[in-house]
Amino acid sequence: MKKEDTVKLISAEGFEFVIDKKAAMVSQTIRNMLTSPGSFAESEHGEVTFPEISTTILEKICQYFYWSLQYASGKETEFHIEPELTLELIMAANYLDT
Amino acid sequence: MGGACSRKRDQQVNEDNLNRGVSGRYTKSGSSKWLGTSFSRASMDPSQGKQSCPSLMDLCICKIREDLNKYSTFSMLPRDISQQIFDDLVCSQRLTDSVLEAFRDCALQDLNLGEYPGFNDSWMDIVSSQGSSLLSVDLSGSDVTDSGLIFLKDCKNLQALNFNYCDQISDKGLEQITGLSNLTTLSFKRNNLITAQGISSLSGLINLVKLDLERCPKIQGGLIHLKGLAKLESLNVNCCNCITDADMKALSGLTSLNSLQIASSKVTDNGVSFLRDLNKLALLNMEGCPVSAACLESLTALDALLFLNLSRCNLTDDGCEKFSKLQSLKVLNLGFNEISGAILVHLKGLTNLESLNLDSCRINDEGMVHLAGLSRLKCLELSDTEVGSSGLRHLSGRARARMTERASEKGLSKDNSKSQRSDCHTSGLLNLESLNLSFTVVTDGGLKKLSGLSSLKSLNLDARQITDAGLAVLTNLTGLTHLDLFGARITDSGTNYLKSFKNLRSLEICGGGLTDAGVKNIKDLTSLTLLNLSQNHHLTDKSLESISGLTQLVSLNVSNSRVTSAGLQHLKTLKNLKSLTLESCKVTAADIKKLQSSDLPNLVSFRPE
Repeated sequence: MKKEDTVKLISAEGFEFVIDKKAAMVSQTIRNMLTSPGSFAESEHGEVTFPEISTTILEKICQYFYWSLQYASGKETEFHIEPELTLELIMAANYLDT
Repeated sequence: MGGACSRKRDQQVNEDNLNRGVSGRYTKSGSSKWLGTSFSRASMDPSQGKQSCPSLMDLCICKIREDLNKYSTFSMLPRDISQQIFDDLVCSQRLTDSVLEAFRDCALQDLNLGEYPGFNDSWMDIVSSQGSSLLSVDLSGSDVTDSGLIFLKDCKNLQALNFNYCDQISDKGLEQITGLSNLTTLSFKRNNLITAQGISSLSGLINLVKLDLERCPKIQGGLIHLKGLAKLESLNVNCCNCITDADMKALSGLTSLNSLQIASSKVTDNGVSFLRDLNKLALLNMEGCPVSAACLESLTALDALLFLNLSRCNLTDDGCEKFSKLQSLKVLNLGFNEISGAILVHLKGLTNLESLNLDSCRINDEGMVHLAGLSRLKCLELSDTEVGSSGLRHLSGRARARMTERASEKGLSKDNSKSQRSDCHTSGLLNLESLNLSFTVVTDGGLKKLSGLSSLKSLNLDARQITDAGLAVLTNLTGLTHLDLFGARITDSGTNYLKSFKNLRSLEICGGGLTDAGVKNIKDLTSLTLLNLSQNHHLTDKSLESISGLTQLVSLNVSNSRVTSAGLQHLKTLKNLKSLTLESCKVTAADIKKLQSSDLPNLVSFRPE
């Protein structure tokens, strides 16, 4: 992956997830952060930090991004959610508008 | 009268059924929402093709729904999330007493529990725990009693309350809500217990904007208590046959009123006179009231009046000249009155008219000329009148270049030149979208006059004298979406012409003249959502095979035919089907239930059942 096509999402614990920009843009919130003129830091460095989202949840969210792209391209599979993650995940999904 | 012959000829007032710009007979699904959508019928749109990708929110909500017993509370979630979960559980009918407990203190804003099975007083505690966050609650059709309403006292910010069809709420219940001063919308349709005493509890609800008391038979004399509701804009007392002229007097100062519905009440011309100062009134429904055209005098100053329903009022021609003063009117319903074509001249100047209903009036061709200049007309209802082919020419603007020639001749009499002028101005009703000619005397030849009305979307030709030849001359009306040929004598050869109507969404041919060969011609009309081929006794399972490609179908009726349960397999593809009628066929309810459970998840109503 070329650097220009990727973004870095950083969890509360400081764990860094480097993913395709296209995947990250599945989140409307991230899309806005990276494209709006006001969010200079994020769009300049291609990094977004989420101090309220834990590593496990952020990992799951990245999995969702890729699942969503796959679904849109026609490959419809099931997205599994561990029950103990559900409530935290729904809050993060709400925040990320995804 | 079997399921196939489900056409009602004489519909009573339905809730929300204020104008049948398209006749009730024509719209199969009951009431047309008259107000915002005077010109469209009940939506039959199926779910849109391919599913877009589920959001992570949706997936999580789905997961929560699966693991419901794991959650004792959702109060730690932000309110907009718990609201979404709540709405999902209502939709999927997974809400029970115990599940509901998880929503205590969630600060929810909207509780839409209308017709929810099992909703009773014991749930009201959870409702009230939403406290000052609660903005709207719908407890219609529930078993909630007067005591249940006590719980609403904690919801000071409540704006909308609906307890329609709650048989156990009485005047005492209304006493409990006197403190809800933020209420703007209140509705308790069809309540047999509430009296004027109960209405007096509403007198302090000064923020009320919309009040719906439809079908409350005991509220006579109660409207006097509404006198102080200066913000009231919409009042519905349809089918409250206890409402009298005195109640109208009580409303005379409510100058914010823009919508007033008093259908089937006892209001007379005298009562209507109290409405003369309601200068914001835009909608007035007096269907079935004992008024005459004399009441129009009271309405002439109301220059905001857009919608007027005077159907079934036993109007006669007397006094109808007053119609000419109601210049602002957009929608006028005069159906089922004893009026003749002589009054049509008084409608000539109502150039803002978009919808006109003359169903079952004694109208004939003479007088139709006066409608020719109503160029904004979109919807014209002429069912059960004596209008024929001659009358149609005025609608299509095909009158008479010949008159102009004669006018240029010398020795012209005064009368001739007048009629020349009126003919010259008729370009036809070029905006006409909906035309109902059922049970008129229009013939195949007359239909030719309609071929220029390319704006037509909806056409009702349910008349036995219409045949294949009539269809043949209409093929250029390619914009047609709704075609009702119920009793017309259409045979297989006529179905060839249907191929031109590629945008057709609704089709009814029930005259008995079709065979499987004719149904084959319909198989490419893939936009169809409603198809009624009942009473075509020759149709067999082969017809169902032809229909199997019409995957947008929401409603299908092939009753009174030779269809058997062996044919049901062809319907497996109709995933959008919600309603299936196969009465008087060799099909049992069990057969259909099987089809429903294995292949048609959306099927909710079917006959036989």
